Amino acid sequence: MGIIGEFSELYLFPNGLFITIQLAITSLLGSLVLGTVIALFRIAPLVPLRWLGGGYVEFFRNTPLLVQLFFLYFATPYIGIYLGEPDTFGFRAAALGLTLYHAAYVAEIVRGGLLAVDKGQIEAARSLGLTYLGMLREVQLPQTFRAVIPPLGNIGIALVKNTSLAATIGVADLLFAGDIVESRTFRAEEAYAAVAILYLSLTIPLGILVNYLEKRMLVAR
Amino acid sequence: MRPDTWRMFVDPAILRFFGNGLMETISLSLAAIVLSFVIALVFAFGRLSKRPWIRWPSIAYIEGIRALPVLLLIVYFGIKGSALFRPVFGPEFELSRYWAGVLGLSLYTSAVLAEIIRAGIVSLPRGQTEASRALGLSHAQSMRHVILPQALRLMVPAMMAQLTTIIKDTSLVGTIGVFELVRQGRVVYTQFFNPIEVFLFVAAIYFVICFALSQASRRLEVGYTPKAARAKIREVQLRDQAA
Repeated sequence: MGIIGEFSELYLFPNGLFITIQLAITSLLGSLVLGTVIALFRIAPLVPLRWLGGGYVEFFRNTPLLVQLFFLYFATPYIGIYLGEPDTFGFRAAALGLTLYHAAYVAEIVRGGLLAVDKGQIEAARSLGLTYLGMLREVQLPQTFRAVIPPLGNIGIALVKNTSLAATIGVADLLFAGDIVESRTFRAEEAYAAVAILYLSLTIPLGILVNYLEKRMLVAR
Repeated sequence: MRPDTWRMFVDPAILRFFGNGLMETISLSLAAIVLSFVIALVFAFGRLSKRPWIRWPSIAYIEGIRALPVLLLIVYFGIKGSALFRPVFGPEFELSRYWAGVLGLSLYTSAVLAEIIRAGIVSLPRGQTEASRALGLSHAQSMRHVILPQALRLMVPAMMAQLTTIIKDTSLVGTIGVFELVRQGRVVYTQFFNPIEVFLFVAAIYFVICFALSQASRRLEVGYTPKAARAKIREVQLRDQAA
């Protein structure tokens, strides 16, 4: 019997791929926004805000993503946090967990970018009468975003790979599809090779894009 | 919060249970970093080799493995590890889940470490190689006696940072049935119905270890690794530290 014949569950792979992409895009957007806010906290002129930002980054970077996902998935119902109906709960918990985790990494990169902006520009903007927030919006943030695109791309690649952890809390992503196919057909090689190729088809083009952007940035300077 | 659910954490039996999980986590990480370092050395030099039939497979290995989720590797070895090694170790061979986990972690980490080692070697001044070759050392000798000792010293902070990543990643080995810290935590909370307390406790343990390690690595890095090497290593780590 041909391999395709045995794989009557073949449709699981495109479905899983779709969920993985959906999860990656949702969490990437979320972590970009949250990470930028935390980076602003970390360089804020108010000391308590800086502590808050620093505490967030250190906590989420130094604990495993899996523990954070398990906390969101298994523990939130006990605190009475409502993340959704049973069919959407896993996905939302995973998206939230991935967002929180990668926001810490995004924050570190954006903070580096913010600190790299020439101090004279900030002082000039302030002395021209811009408020602190106005200066951030008009002067500091626009320059930062340009410089941090390539490193953020690296975080995006890490995020795509990390979406696989969602399978452990029952989200039907790509790895989960592989698990199901494997358990129904006992063909681990083929099932996981398919999963691996599909992951590579996401991460390798992203890697090439990041390298290209890095080169272009170097030329632009 | 319900107060009685915290009381179990002073019970010595429960603490011993978590302690066992912690020992398993630490032993997994140490085994994985040692094994991955050995594999990484091979592929780092493979990638720097002048012979294309060594260089291209090394590049394919490093870039391919780095682009895969580490959980995929761990799950694969958890299921297929025994069958994979039977041609080598005989038909009765069973790969334990522990070693399946170590293998999955090591394979992934070796690709990352290989890139870090390469960054260390490349960032050394060219004059070092040229001088040692001019003094009559062969390529292999100059690597062994001149380049590698310096490059490895540069990389101590980066290796410590990688160890924190491995410690975090060992939590994934729980999914194939190794009773490390997170898995022990799951066993406990299904008995006591207190996932909040258990996962906070487990997170705190990871935090103490990883925070101490990453702080130490950052302290060491300043004035230890030259700026050029640091930037290159940072870039490698970005993609993988978040794993």
